[in-house]
Amino acid sequence: MHQARFKGKLIPFLLMAPTLAILVLFLYFPVLQTFRLSLFRVAFLGLRKKFIGFANFVDLFQSPAYLHTVLITLLIAAAIVVIGLSLSLAISVLANQKVRGARVYRLLLIWPYALSPAVAGIIWLFMFSPGFGIVNYLLSITLHIAPNWLGDPVLAVILIIVVSIWKNIGYNVVFYLAALQNVNTDILEAAAIDGAGPWRRFRSITFALLSPMTFFLLITNITYAFFGIFGTVDIMTKGGPINGTNVMIYNLYRDGFQYYKTGFAAAQSVILFVGVIILTIIQFRTSGRRVYYGGT
Amino acid sequence: MKRVLVLVMLGLLVFSGLALAQAKPVQITFWHAFGGARQQWVARRVADFNYTHPGIQVSVQFKGSYRDTLNAAILAAQQGDAPNVVQIFEIGTQLALDSGIFMPIQDLVIGPEFQPDDYISALTDYYKINGKFNSIPWNSSNPVLFYNKDIFRKAGLDPNKPPRTFEEMLADSKQIVESGAAKNAITWPLHSWFFEQWMANMGENLVNNGNGRDARATESLLTGDGAKTILTWWKEMADKGYWTYSGRVEDWDGSDAIFISGQAAMEITSTSDVTQRQNDAAANGFELGTSYLPYPAITVGGRKLTGPEGVIVGGASLWITKDHPTAQLQAAKTFVLWFTNTENSIAWHKATGYFPIHKSAIDVLKVQNWFVLNPAYKAAFDQLLNTKPSRATQGALIGAFPQVRTIIEQAIEKVIAGKATVDAALTEAKALADKAIQEYNQSVE
Repeated sequence: MHQARFKGKLIPFLLMAPTLAILVLFLYFPVLQTFRLSLFRVAFLGLRKKFIGFANFVDLFQSPAYLHTVLITLLIAAAIVVIGLSLSLAISVLANQKVRGARVYRLLLIWPYALSPAVAGIIWLFMFSPGFGIVNYLLSITLHIAPNWLGDPVLAVILIIVVSIWKNIGYNVVFYLAALQNVNTDILEAAAIDGAGPWRRFRSITFALLSPMTFFLLITNITYAFFGIFGTVDIMTKGGPINGTNVMIYNLYRDGFQYYKTGFAAAQSVILFVGVIILTIIQFRTSGRRVYYGGT
Repeated sequence: MKRVLVLVMLGLLVFSGLALAQAKPVQITFWHAFGGARQQWVARRVADFNYTHPGIQVSVQFKGSYRDTLNAAILAAQQGDAPNVVQIFEIGTQLALDSGIFMPIQDLVIGPEFQPDDYISALTDYYKINGKFNSIPWNSSNPVLFYNKDIFRKAGLDPNKPPRTFEEMLADSKQIVESGAAKNAITWPLHSWFFEQWMANMGENLVNNGNGRDARATESLLTGDGAKTILTWWKEMADKGYWTYSGRVEDWDGSDAIFISGQAAMEITSTSDVTQRQNDAAANGFELGTSYLPYPAITVGGRKLTGPEGVIVGGASLWITKDHPTAQLQAAKTFVLWFTNTENSIAWHKATGYFPIHKSAIDVLKVQNWFVLNPAYKAAFDQLLNTKPSRATQGALIGAFPQVRTIIEQAIEKVIAGKATVDAALTEAKALADKAIQEYNQSVE
């Protein structure tokens, strides 16, 4: 098939110029600036700067508190991605059934995603407040327990994971539902006639056909788990108790904007940036190869 | 004839232009951190100022939180466009000093427009640096004890005798909880501010070099007897279920809810909440009492404490940025002195509960029977006026104060949760705080 092409080399660049300008100004330049700042000790948001080489990075990797932060981040991210995606897929398959009111269920499932992190955080905060929350009220009249959800490091981590998964389920379900509706029913019927059971049909056909979507969601969910949970953490725990939920993005914010250690925060942002890039590359190299994009 | 007319017209135009130029007011900007009703209060006062001072035009802007306001001011100064007057929170004092973009207001005052003796020294001492008024306090508050007199009666306690010492607090708490009058005895937010206040109340400095006021602080003093006494008592209060909190750090609203709902009989919080708490008590139908911050009747550093040393002022003050034309600097000073004058600070006090900063304001309030009509304020004022001036009650100056606060809060959390002993938590906190202070010092030297 013949494709129409622009003649000359200038026109494509001209057409891309507005987008490129915005990317350079608001993305590439700040990223470079961050890399540069990570090599400085900065006071007062840049009023004073001193070049210190890689001392910020050395400090970070020697600090037990920062290593704890990295571990907590990986733990929370793994839980959000694995549990979140499995749950979303299960819910999507259920929501894809042809039952009465399916549209209503689907609409309701997307709701949490429409809430801002601040609003969602406050709602959960009210529910899980140890003193006057509805959850502890119900637990105390039924089981006679009143866990300190926000004061206990382990419970707080669990709570953050639960809220973050709940918050992102709508997003995942929208994409999974769209993909499920595109699954060719002929193949499923053929498999059924060949004697494949429901589980076998799901695992070998539906799940395989969903793999491009799963891969896409894997990447976006990882980004969400590393960066997107900031609002939830800030509203619900402020990184506490005892740094229990002090994830990398929150620690960075605290150092940069509350403690005015701009260079130190820039170094953390570089680590986070490189970390997420490495994770993404690994995924493209491993699971990315198993993705089946269809076609013959 | 026509030509003459044109000349006259031209002359008039030039003349009126000159007159306009002369009448053109000095433009200055004022950035602050109060949203909501307080933002409206500020806007009305500024409009009032502009009306009564035709030579000056103040434009006012709400800039978000205390931190946002300070950040915005520093960034604006980097662009050469600093606001003239900025509200800065008390623990940002050393940071603001080191930023080098401000100047002491006392360097601008001329003669009788400024009466240093009329300021309540317990409020202005915090902002006096090297003996000079550096900034003028605007919103000032202390910690104060609120208590529910109905619960006190139910527990068989004298509703007019709230606990004064740490020991009395333990005894009264026991009676409240064991009698079942309330689920918990007391609440206050898990916030370093209370730890700092108790240190001052014992006359203990938080950092070396005269609390950072004789010279830049280089070391924290978190492992002394005072600090240990506070945490040991706090831990006992928590373990026995006397003290409770929402589970989150710095959660003022959480503690308010616990007290207002009657879950706890007492609350320690800021005096800026007195008006609010009076309304809460009326709305929830209980009788409110106020009293002093309790203190430990113990021996600290060889001194036997027989009474409280006093409290540190919290809140924020108004700073003037340098690097502006003289006319603007003078206009900024005129505005700050007017904005915080006796009349305005009384209005501010009545609207919010923050202290008025002038001695003359207290006289006026007395004439107006304010303390008879609002008895809840009495304890707050008595505690303020009885504060003994010292480096400890003047409050610490630490550049890395925001970070030191988090470090102290984590030590408290560890002790309360039983993850560390008092000694271990404080030793660790001291090491971390010292590191933060030294890193800060390196970044500004």
